[in-house]
Amino acid sequence: MNVLGLFVRNLMRGPVTDPYPFGPTKTAKRFRGRIEFDAASCEGCKLCERVCPSGAIKFSKDPGGLAFDCWHATCVFCGTCAFYCPTGSIRQTDDWSLAHVASEKFALVEHGLIPNQTCAECGATALDTAPMEGGVKPPLTPEEIATLRPLCPKCRAKFMKARKAKK
Amino acid sequence: MNILTKFKDVAARSPWLYRINAGSCNGCDVELATTALIPRWDVERLGCQYCGSPRHADIVLITGPLTRHVRDAALRLFEEIPDPKVTVAVGVCPISGGIFRESYATCAPIDQWFPVDVNVPGCPPRPQAILDGVAKAIAIWRARL
Ligand code: SF4
Ligand code: SF4
Ligand code: SF4
Repeated sequence: MNVLGLFVRNLMRGPVTDPYPFGPTKTAKRFRGRIEFDAASCEGCKLCERVCPSGAIKFSKDPGGLAFDCWHATCVFCGTCAFYCPTGSIRQTDDWSLAHVASEKFALVEHGLIPNQTCAECGATALDTAPMEGGVKPPLTPEEIATLRPLCPKCRAKFMKARKAKK
Repeated sequence: MNILTKFKDVAARSPWLYRINAGSCNGCDVELATTALIPRWDVERLGCQYCGSPRHADIVLITGPLTRHVRDAALRLFEEIPDPKVTVAVGVCPISGGIFRESYATCAPIDQWFPVDVNVPGCPPRPQAILDGVAKAIAIWRARL
């Protein structure tokens, strides 16, 4: 392209400067940003805590159940947790807007709680996690999942054993 | 004194930025260069400019997990920056150690060594997030003058 053409093209295009922070900005569609956790679909397998290379994810016992915490100030947005999560409970959003004053450093946490429940079968207290579906053959039907959900791990294992014997 | 206060009020107050690489992997430094040097992000719209000497700086941007090797040099450099200065930790490395957390070779988090005012997490942070951080730092710096 000759210089004149380039000149005219640039003149027509206007400035390339992104208006941010005075105006809106664009984010790439597949940008890997702040992670998000959904407690309702989590199996409680803790795989995410295990694979996280920077130790950002921590599960801890809570009086109300099992608490999930991800500290955004140490997460490197690698996406390993989202990759390995069998249920898709961890998702990477396209949010990069994390700058904060230093006093809010420890408030930058994604918190979730898997609550305790009382087992519908034996009455024991257990976590209200999603039933494990991975590797189950034939796959669990939605009705079976609904039956398994209010049970404790022991009663779930019993149910699965009975199911295996039946098939 | 009165004239001095008045002068301070009317002065444009354009801070100068200075960057300390405290053992960064260079990812954050590339993003800092991006915010400063390419017209797409152009940090100078906020009224600030990078400078080459710590003695001219007002806002100091620190990247990297502060490796043991660079710690003393970084501390010395930080001492050379005149007050009032505002410190911005860029990337998760200086804030918490990030991927290098609990390594024997790093002294992260840097707030054990420097008074940090603004954090910009990300590995590396987006240029827009750095602009956000610089804007916050400028606000703090103006309040401190
Ligand atoms: S289901 Fe996903 S979010 Fe829940 S513990 Fe397992 S890996 Fe983590
Ligand atoms: S994105 Fe990577 S660093 Fe962040 S929580 Fe997930 S595994 Fe850990
Ligand atoms: S935060 Fe990430 S990109 Fe920045 S210096 Fe540390 S490892 Fe490199």
